[in-house]
Amino acid sequence: MDVRPAGLTKRLLYLGGALALYGASVAAQGTDRRFEPEQISKGAALFARNCAPCHGPRMVDPQSAFDLRKFPPDEKTRFVNVLTRGKNAMPPLGGLFGPDEIDALWAYVVAGEKR
Amino acid sequence: MTRSLLSLGLLLFASCAGVVSAQTLEDLRNDGKNTDNVLTYGMGYHLNRYSALDQINKATVKRLVPVWSLSLDNRWGEQAQPLVYNGVMYVTNARWTVAIDVATGKQIWRTEVDWLPETPRVVCCGVSNKGPALYNGKVFRTTLDAFVVALDQKTGKQLWKSKAADWTEGYSMTVAPLVANGVLLTGISGAEFGIRGFIDGWDPDTGRHLWRRYTTAAPGEPGGDTWGPGDAYKHGGASTWITGSYDPDLDLVYWGTGNAGPWNPEPRPGDNLYVASILAIRPKTGELVWHYQATPNDPYDYDACWELILGDLKIDGGNRKVVMQLNRNGFLYVLDRANGKLLSAKPFEKVTWATHVDMTTGRPVESELGQKVRAGEWIEKWPGTRGAKNWPHAAFNPNTGLLYANTMHAARMYRFLPVEPFKAGQRYMFMEAKDPENRPADLPVGHVDALDPVTAQPRWRMPLQDFAHWGALLATGGGLLFTGKMTGEFLAIDADTGKLLWQFKTGSGINAQPITWTLNGKQYVTVLSGLGGLGEIVNRQKLGNVPQGGSVWTFALLD
Repeated sequence: MDVRPAGLTKRLLYLGGALALYGASVAAQGTDRRFEPEQISKGAALFARNCAPCHGPRMVDPQSAFDLRKFPPDEKTRFVNVLTRGKNAMPPLGGLFGPDEIDALWAYVVAGEKR
Repeated sequence: MTRSLLSLGLLLFASCAGVVSAQTLEDLRNDGKNTDNVLTYGMGYHLNRYSALDQINKATVKRLVPVWSLSLDNRWGEQAQPLVYNGVMYVTNARWTVAIDVATGKQIWRTEVDWLPETPRVVCCGVSNKGPALYNGKVFRTTLDAFVVALDQKTGKQLWKSKAADWTEGYSMTVAPLVANGVLLTGISGAEFGIRGFIDGWDPDTGRHLWRRYTTAAPGEPGGDTWGPGDAYKHGGASTWITGSYDPDLDLVYWGTGNAGPWNPEPRPGDNLYVASILAIRPKTGELVWHYQATPNDPYDYDACWELILGDLKIDGGNRKVVMQLNRNGFLYVLDRANGKLLSAKPFEKVTWATHVDMTTGRPVESELGQKVRAGEWIEKWPGTRGAKNWPHAAFNPNTGLLYANTMHAARMYRFLPVEPFKAGQRYMFMEAKDPENRPADLPVGHVDALDPVTAQPRWRMPLQDFAHWGALLATGGGLLFTGKMTGEFLAIDADTGKLLWQFKTGSGINAQPITWTLNGKQYVTVLSGLGGLGEIVNRQKLGNVPQGGSVWTFALLD
């Protein structure tokens, strides 16, 4: 019995559910091939948990912080610097997230929602 | 004769010593009688935020002018209530403790509070501090990274520093301490980061830890069976971030607890004692004498932390010693403060999460929204996540029997997200929220309300169209209310009508707590200016033209 397709299906189903819950736009992901859907989905969950309170749910309506939909998609270094070292009211989050989590957040910010 | 002369001498010595040394527990109890001093958070153990002073009144307030201002060299926001003792004002914010000569506004000393720059990542709602406590020659305060500190009143030199909790696990402190029956009490913040809440008792002389009253019940303790299986109580929230009141006759401290964690209640079936509750505790031991839970299972971020105001009310023809709270959940609770019996619970704002409070059981009767939100649906809830009232403290005038409060009139769209395991330092909420789309543009965002505590009906409402107020209220014998706006105006309002009588624009936004006091028989009013806290966070873009930066402002009548 080949378990791989079944496992893959389950993973895709789970991913679909996660994407629907966190609202990462499938259309937006379809247009950006730099990131794996799993990475974007992981970033979406991290964002919803830790970043949405200030930057707005799914980056919409940031009442108190930078509108991340306007973040230049070619400036990853700047993104990582601000995330890890902080800026203005944003505290340094370098000790909170590992490198793969920071990459996932970057993937979500660049490709997770309609800009 | 000799003996009486001797005792007279001793008496004189004692009274002189009383002037030069620090104040006593008796002075704390009598705060308000000597108007030269403001010794307690809330301007009295009862947290009435009322002063009988009346030089500044409805007729004279038009002559109110600033007499001095002092920079606090702080961009994080000012939320504190200053204290005054023997001509010196003590002010705190997240960065500094400052002593000021009240006559001139000159700084006498300031002592820095040092915390790591990443500490604010475990602070949900504004890097700030609510104020100091004074007792026996010391200034007590809490720090953002969860220490309790004692400084020398004369020099600002640190006398002791005790760790309450580890900030990397989500704990932080902004609360003003309370000295009751010789014990220093402090609360804790962090219910958005999966903490287990508590109230601590400390020896004010040495900083020795005396007791801890956890505010979530463990298995085997009373209430330990209200958390379902597992260890949800370990991350169950119930923070204690607003200073309690104290009745010295009953020797009971009243302290409210915050929201449950995570906001999504899926891992914590049950009432979850003692989240969103009012606790009555013995200050010497931390013993829990009675409790009342306002929002069982709290799925809505409905803290019951807000000020627990003590007063004497006529209810059903009898005089009752009560404790009152304008709860975040929209109900105004009145309880008998000796035994916790619920006397009244009426809505003071629009409430849709519950239909009413059942006066037999004391429990809220949830509307259909409770089922919907637990099933994962979007709901529109009133009050919104910021509550019908947030922390900005109400005032109570014992002569009119009215409460005065800065309230909020807003709903939020709200739904839960899947719960993930606790991770130290990360958010532990699992929800999302947004503003409803159909809100009429002319609907007031909040009010200043004069409320009958028992009916919760307004005597008058002053509608606010731009920003809800995020500062506390002060009521005076001059028939005035003092409060401030996020845009910086310090306001004097007619307490009988809600009419604005006077305003002065300070340097930044006001989200702090005014006080009034006297020097050489003249009345002064002081407030801190310095945009910060949750009110700033949720309005930061709209407040783009209000600069940050803390300062103290003191006002008096122009002679």
